[in-house]
Amino acid sequence: MTTENIEEKIIVFIASKVENVDPATINRSSDFESLGLDSMDRVQLLFDAEEIFGVTFDDEEVKNFSCVGDIVDYISKHHSADQSPEA
Amino acid sequence: MRIVVTGMGVISPIGSSVDQFWSSAVNGQGGIRKITCFDASGHRSRIAGEISDFDPKSFLSGKQIEQTDRFTQLALYAAKEALNDAGDLSGYPARRLAVSLGSGMGGFSTFESSAIRKLQHKSVPPFTVPRTMANSAAAWIAAQYGLKGANLTCSTACSSAANAIGTALDLLRTGRADAVVTGGAEACVLPLTISGFEALHALSTGFNDDPEQASRPFAIGRDGFVMGEGAGILVLEKEQDAIQRGAKIYAEIAGYGCTCDAAHIVAPDIDGQVAAMQAAIEDAHITPDAVDYINAHATSTPLGDIVETRAIKQLFGDHAYTLAISATKSLVGHTIGASAALGSIATIMTLSTGTIHPTINLATPDPECDLNYAPNTALHKAVRIGLCNAFGFGGNNATLVFKTY
Repeated sequence: MTTENIEEKIIVFIASKVENVDPATINRSSDFESLGLDSMDRVQLLFDAEEIFGVTFDDEEVKNFSCVGDIVDYISKHHSADQSPEA
Repeated sequence: MRIVVTGMGVISPIGSSVDQFWSSAVNGQGGIRKITCFDASGHRSRIAGEISDFDPKSFLSGKQIEQTDRFTQLALYAAKEALNDAGDLSGYPARRLAVSLGSGMGGFSTFESSAIRKLQHKSVPPFTVPRTMANSAAAWIAAQYGLKGANLTCSTACSSAANAIGTALDLLRTGRADAVVTGGAEACVLPLTISGFEALHALSTGFNDDPEQASRPFAIGRDGFVMGEGAGILVLEKEQDAIQRGAKIYAEIAGYGCTCDAAHIVAPDIDGQVAAMQAAIEDAHITPDAVDYINAHATSTPLGDIVETRAIKQLFGDHAYTLAISATKSLVGHTIGASAALGSIATIMTLSTGTIHPTINLATPDPECDLNYAPNTALHKAVRIGLCNAFGFGGNNATLVFKTY
């Protein structure tokens, strides 16, 4: 999966988790606050993302996440690591 | 001071509105089927009263569904029905609007699924605790409708809803609230709860191929209770307030009694049951011979139905034989912490319609159960005062008294 594909899938996924936000307006720079996600919503979002994208978020790194791009970058990085040959 | 019922809502294996529930009950149409919500093939009891057509998406957002257990979703559905039925409560200050709810198991579905994940070394969903906690349903009802007064949850096993409704009565009598949303909710048709009750030999296991016959209180051949799920909600207010706002009044809730056997953790006790009924009757300032109807606890266990029959005879004497009695669990199974809420709604409908729903599957009564249980066909009789009994594990006994209004 290319980074662009992952980004697209993650944005579609996030769009399915937020309420009262036009999905077309969600992009890498959308911050969690503007998407109406409180701290518990973010925790739930990342839990669901782990299930869907087969990654495990590092608790310390997650503390610095503030926008959609942070999730995209983390999943892109670790997703490709998961796909490394015959790990 | 008189306290009255001004709204009712229900979701059950035999109907998702009070009208549907009552119509099925009066016509003796039960809701016990083979379990479909999980593969029960490895269980000895493979039947239940499920609400198979429940769709939380019809009234909750995706986020709300994610954050709530099924028992809370059922409670929210019944609360929506009850509050729509009660009409406008906006004249009351929000801090005077209370919730008093019962649930025996709380969010057990969430507990079970999260425990499985933990045992598989997977991460646990972040809303595991707020979905599981017993007061989740009461808290969600408050949040949905802005009910900012007392918010209580009563967990006394199978008598939870009766004690929750009794507590609601007390909140109003003592002036701690102006209106109370009360009742019970349960959703534990689950592998672990079924296994747990099987291990106690409490469930019916002999009717897996004939589920509609399985819940048969007072009948020969009964072999345990059938698990059910559901929620029932009542709105209670002071009579004068209800009149003032032009509310429809279904019935008066006139008395509440509760006792503990302080003996065995699961076995029923005649004296405790008699004492609960007696306390409720005294609380209502009536005498036993004024009672016309009893919505019995009657779970369809071999011992429980006999003990309740004996308790009724001990308290009412000869009058026991003139009472009409019916067992709502013959229709819906045992909805545990919601059961007395469904029983209360059945009692109130009996008072307001003069129809007593039948106890189904009662072709041949147990010789030790020799009272008038309205076998198989509805009775038509003016009922002025009705009791609703609920007895639970822990030796908890509770009785509510309803009067026609």
